[in-house]
Amino acid sequence: MATRTINVNYIARVEGESSLRLDIRDGVVGNVRLSIFEPPRFFEAMLRGRRFDEVLDIVARICGICPIAYQMSGVAAIESLLGIEVEPPIHALRRMLYCGEWIESHSLHIAMLHAPDFLGYADAITMARDHGDAVRRALALKKAGNELLRLLGGREIHPVNVRIGGFYRLPSRAEFAPVVESLKRARDLAIATLRWAATFSFPDWTRDYEFVALRHPNEYPMNHGRIVSSAGLDIAAAEYEGEFLEHQVPYSTALHSTHRRGGAYLVGSMARYALNRDRLPAELRALAEEAGLEPVCRNPFKSILVRAVEVVYACGEALRLIADYQPPGRPFATAEPRAGIGYGCTEAPRGVLFHRYEIDREGEIVDARIVPPTSQNQGMMEEDLRQVATAGLDLDNEHLKAHCEQSIRNHDPCISCAAHFLTLNVNRA
Amino acid sequence: MSGGERPGLLVAAIGNPDRGDDGVAPTVARRLRESAPAGVRVLDCSADVLELIDEWAGYTAAILIDASDPAGDPGRIRRLDLAGSLLPADFAQNSTHAFGLAETVELARALNQLPSRLVLYLIEGERFDVGAKLSPPVAAAVDRAVEAILAELSNIAAERAD
Repeated sequence: MATRTINVNYIARVEGESSLRLDIRDGVVGNVRLSIFEPPRFFEAMLRGRRFDEVLDIVARICGICPIAYQMSGVAAIESLLGIEVEPPIHALRRMLYCGEWIESHSLHIAMLHAPDFLGYADAITMARDHGDAVRRALALKKAGNELLRLLGGREIHPVNVRIGGFYRLPSRAEFAPVVESLKRARDLAIATLRWAATFSFPDWTRDYEFVALRHPNEYPMNHGRIVSSAGLDIAAAEYEGEFLEHQVPYSTALHSTHRRGGAYLVGSMARYALNRDRLPAELRALAEEAGLEPVCRNPFKSILVRAVEVVYACGEALRLIADYQPPGRPFATAEPRAGIGYGCTEAPRGVLFHRYEIDREGEIVDARIVPPTSQNQGMMEEDLRQVATAGLDLDNEHLKAHCEQSIRNHDPCISCAAHFLTLNVNRA
Repeated sequence: MSGGERPGLLVAAIGNPDRGDDGVAPTVARRLRESAPAGVRVLDCSADVLELIDEWAGYTAAILIDASDPAGDPGRIRRLDLAGSLLPADFAQNSTHAFGLAETVELARALNQLPSRLVLYLIEGERFDVGAKLSPPVAAAVDRAVEAILAELSNIAAERAD
């Protein structure tokens, strides 16, 4: 009996700690176990007993790459609980913030983490020697995203300026001027990045995913919308827990998510694009088509193109929002605590991020639940790995490992600085 | 150096002042701002070190200051010449969510965007507790670090004057 076990005890630089194990016996892929131990589990416990107006500063610490997402889902949940309707300019500022986070998160992933897989480099540093312009574009894009986060969030990592009811401090119109110049350059760089990624060679490989994303009546989704799926789901954030189940798997402390009716599902840029392409400007749809993206992309290796499209969109959207911006009458609406449960769901760069908070009448958090996109995508990533491994059974271990790594990176599971994140042990029987 | 403007010098202090000994570089930077010669720009970098590649663009010489992991000798100061050689293997990056200093330096090297002179002063930390002050041996190293960096700055200035 021929047995190969691909066993990765520690996947470095993933959000949380991860391991991968593939059992291949007699030419059949058996167990596929991608375990991610999510830090948000601890944050939920830490939040209990804290005041509702401390939530945003605490959840911003969950991730250094997507702190805005945690703040946006948190603020949506608590404001809905407290019955706060913020003014349209506050919505606009929050959407700008999200644009900044999408720009920096996606740009880093495209050029530094994912592109080396397509171009045959071990990491971005070795790739940079031959593809310096692409890396410089990514650095400039990330910087443009950082500038937006600094202006609106107070700082680019673990921002501090968002508060329940609005912002602590509003930017002046003059402060936007240098950011606008950066974003204009960034949009051109983002288009160049999309065209560069379009030259990559993509495996001819598709999956029949159930896509899950937010959908808004007229916006490409970020802060608002109903949760919809390619299988016909259409629910409010408050109904999330009735549709999606988290369950423990014996090999991991992380919780896996499944759709009650459909099993594993996919959130993230591919899902957003598949369900909301019609919300993109026509010229961007044309750019996407020129880059080789079908209206619904089911090839996870092409997710790099979808992210590149979203970076172009986020640059343009931020510019549009800044051009239309009229300062609100006041920076924030005051918030008085009241007992209840609030739900928030927004589109993190990696997909749907669900928050639920229960607070008592004194404003203390009684219970909190946070379901990050990476956790939701684990089941689908395992399915991808099973199929990638099955298709690659004839490969030697090094090449099989490379395909598995790339397959994981297709879904950007918050691997923010990984270039070479799998160490592989192979046991042969 | 003769003719034209003399390029300035950059000192970048990496660290979080609210995390115990991680604040040693910002503390040294504060002192340098009071005593560094004209033409020296002292910068705090507490977040995205990748942006240093942009910050040191245009400078022919830059000095970085950072705290290093505890290794049994808190307050020990190490000086590394980064322009001439790869970072030592034990200089691992510790951030799970961003490019660390080692990757940033090597990325800049690959892009040919390193200053021709790039020196890193590492001050070994002991404790990195939230909200803590510098631990006594690390606080005691601040004067020595300031002296060493001022001496290095004046050496660079003297070389340029030749």
